[in-house]
Amino acid sequence: MAPPASRTTVFAARRIVTMNPRQPFATHVAVRDGRILGVGDLGSLAAYGPHDLDDRFADQVLMPGLVEGHCHLKEGGMWDMPYLGWFDRRDPDGTVWPGLRTMEAVVARVAEAAADLADADAPLICWGFDPIYFGGQRMTVEHLDRAGEARAVVIGHANGHLMNVNSAALRMAGITRDTDVEGVVKFPDGPKAGEPTGELQEPAAMFLIVRHVGDTGVLAPVTVAGVRSFARLACREGVTTATDLVNKLTDRDLAVLGEALADEGCAVRIAPAFQAFHGTHGAAAGAERVATLRGRSTDKLRLGLVKMMLDGSIQGFSARLRWPGYHNGAPNGIWVTAPAQYEADFETYHRAGLTIHTHTNGDEASVVAIDAIERVLARAPRPGHRHTLQHGQMIDAPLFRRMASLGLSANLFANHIWHWGDQHAEVTMGPDRAARLNACASALAHGVPLAIHSDAPVTPLSPLHVAWCAVNRVTPKGRVLGETERLTVEQALHAVTLGAAWTLGLDGEVGSIEPGKRADFCVLEEDPLAVDPMALKDVRVWGTVFGGAVHRASAA
Amino acid sequence: MSAPPSPSPRPLPMTVVGGFLGSGKTTLVSHWLREAGGQRIAVLVNDFGDLDIDAGLIAAVGSDVITLSNGCVCCQIGDDLAAALIAVLSAPAPFDAVVVEASGVSDPGRIAQYARADPALTPDGVIVLLDAATARRDAADPLLADTMLRQLGSADLLVVNKTDEVDAAEDARLDAWIAEAAPGVPTLRTTQARVPLAIISRLAPWDGGSVPHDAAPGPHRHDHAPAGDPRHGDVFESWSCRPARRFAVADLRDWFAGGLPGLLRLKGWVQAPDDGWIEVQFMGRRGTARPSSPPPGGEPAIVAIGIGGRLPRESLERAFEHS
Repeated sequence: MAPPASRTTVFAARRIVTMNPRQPFATHVAVRDGRILGVGDLGSLAAYGPHDLDDRFADQVLMPGLVEGHCHLKEGGMWDMPYLGWFDRRDPDGTVWPGLRTMEAVVARVAEAAADLADADAPLICWGFDPIYFGGQRMTVEHLDRAGEARAVVIGHANGHLMNVNSAALRMAGITRDTDVEGVVKFPDGPKAGEPTGELQEPAAMFLIVRHVGDTGVLAPVTVAGVRSFARLACREGVTTATDLVNKLTDRDLAVLGEALADEGCAVRIAPAFQAFHGTHGAAAGAERVATLRGRSTDKLRLGLVKMMLDGSIQGFSARLRWPGYHNGAPNGIWVTAPAQYEADFETYHRAGLTIHTHTNGDEASVVAIDAIERVLARAPRPGHRHTLQHGQMIDAPLFRRMASLGLSANLFANHIWHWGDQHAEVTMGPDRAARLNACASALAHGVPLAIHSDAPVTPLSPLHVAWCAVNRVTPKGRVLGETERLTVEQALHAVTLGAAWTLGLDGEVGSIEPGKRADFCVLEEDPLAVDPMALKDVRVWGTVFGGAVHRASAA
Repeated sequence: MSAPPSPSPRPLPMTVVGGFLGSGKTTLVSHWLREAGGQRIAVLVNDFGDLDIDAGLIAAVGSDVITLSNGCVCCQIGDDLAAALIAVLSAPAPFDAVVVEASGVSDPGRIAQYARADPALTPDGVIVLLDAATARRDAADPLLADTMLRQLGSADLLVVNKTDEVDAAEDARLDAWIAEAAPGVPTLRTTQARVPLAIISRLAPWDGGSVPHDAAPGPHRHDHAPAGDPRHGDVFESWSCRPARRFAVADLRDWFAGGLPGLLRLKGWVQAPDDGWIEVQFMGRRGTARPSSPPPGGEPAIVAIGIGGRLPRESLERAFEHS
């Protein structure tokens, strides 16, 4: 029996999309103590006794709170800096930053941001610059000096491998025509021939700047304010459960998460994954650490996931590919972890009873992971391991069949189809292989549990946008990449709810609206199953219900 | 804006040690830490796991830093080499050199780029270790072959380790394979990752015979019996002199550029025409000549080290002894 103080609230909605196949639709959901008591209509819920009727969602559609199975809390912290991307993007305050489609538009926004900065000497750091649709035009100091000459301006590229800086930043870092290192690009001709253009490629060249302005990348530690910003963004996107898919889980990291999540306004469950790409001897201590931390999980902080990493990224030409390799002839990518080391460390974490999420972008990396996991499972079978390949962008049908036989899940990077799809068709993969990029339909056809993701802040946090990508598979230039790999809207919504929850071991708790689960809902203004599939990404999010408490996006 | 770091008067020499897992990288840097001979070396490793340091030499152990009683430190890189290098460069008491152990799959040449990029650092060579017993097998693995070739291509000096674990026939096959896979890369052979520190460090003296400080300027040849254990590894010889004449930086650079097969390390100071000094350094296949402050002893001195019998003596004599 519930304690006497517990009250039952019945939420009435235009429609409830439950993701529970026994009862796919409903109009009312009863909530008590933060959990779902019953689902049906007002009449059927009378069985649960007296209740308060809350009909504020009479015009809205409820779905299970969306689950983002591969993102980084850093998405919240990025918004301390001006955004310069080609794609429209919403910040935690709800402001949509329109995509910048020309170099002039980029320069104008940088100039505006420079003028807004109170401290005249502070460096201006911007993120998300994405010139791949600028027809080969490169940014140089000539652009950025127009935006600001006195202070250092540093522009990070969306792909994470490049930056552009202005002349003041070159001076700050002592980069001159005499700086003789790969990656410091120089003007080939013209009046400035031999002078640095301000474009810095790869870590050694970028180090000269990082020394002065600090690391602002995805792996920089999160702060309490950053987690809160992330939670506000999550509310705007209907997300109630999210990963932080690389976290060192130091005592400091846990204190930051604990402090931020103690705030009731921080309406998101976080499942951080321990950074298990470390030195050659870290696995035993790492596994012990995560196994111990698992016992410290709370309603909102779910510990126990492990993240490993095998290769780099396709658009950065650092992913490991099988024959015939990169379409443009670039050499094969790199191993972040040696295959033998991966297998040994995987086995250590696996034997500790933990669930391991492995970054494999290229298909050679996916093969290495599948081969290694097959051997580990033969040596140490373990039911219900839920190991998952993350990104898995080039996995094909034979590999999906092997994954199914091993009980592996796939969390595919469907947002890539939109964000880099044209580059994949033209430069990295060529037209044939680009058609099987993030082959969502093949995964399901061969029985692999499927989630799809944003990898925010690499692409924006928005499961409905990810679902839209998986359903339509269109690119900015109007290509359709692999029509037969399209998901139905129902399949895509499953992938961003129960599908993702499965990979996190939380499908018994979240991901559908059915009795006993947490009362986590995504509140939508339109019915995602009724709109034109091409409009799925435009379905407006009113906010969320989190453990029965209502959070309106516009108030977040 | 943060103040630019004050340029250190002498850039910090940086050595990168690469090679596959198990090739002996950590063993090599452990020797270096133990035998630093008064130099304050910062060694950045992937992991403390394989580090072999006597407990008696350890002054303090932190989660990511081990401080040694001889003034050296060893730091775990974690996933952030940039942060580790910044910590070394901004240490309150400056270091004499930094040694970076690359991960088994990374390209040490890319790490060496940091030393070429940053004026506070100067490259002191990329050393790549090969496990004699497993190198050819790894190179035949299609998953690893390109990674290994990239490492070999980045090497200034190739150290074939664990030569006691292969027989003569395999040794010959290994030789032939290296000649093909890494043409022109100076190679030495050893066991237990033992390499004379004077070869891999610009700072370490050649204990087979340093130039005597009381010698008057002028040509002095000092030939030494090859050092090393002839059973398992290469033996080395040295050549040294006190060049009396003056040199131009450009001439020295041209001399290096001409190629010096057989020379593994050359170090020292010579006088410039304007009474200034030039520091001369060569390791493996790269040499530098740069204006410098006066040398410690105040005298010009050059030491060259090579594998026994292969030191290019004539070229050395022509360059440094002829007026």
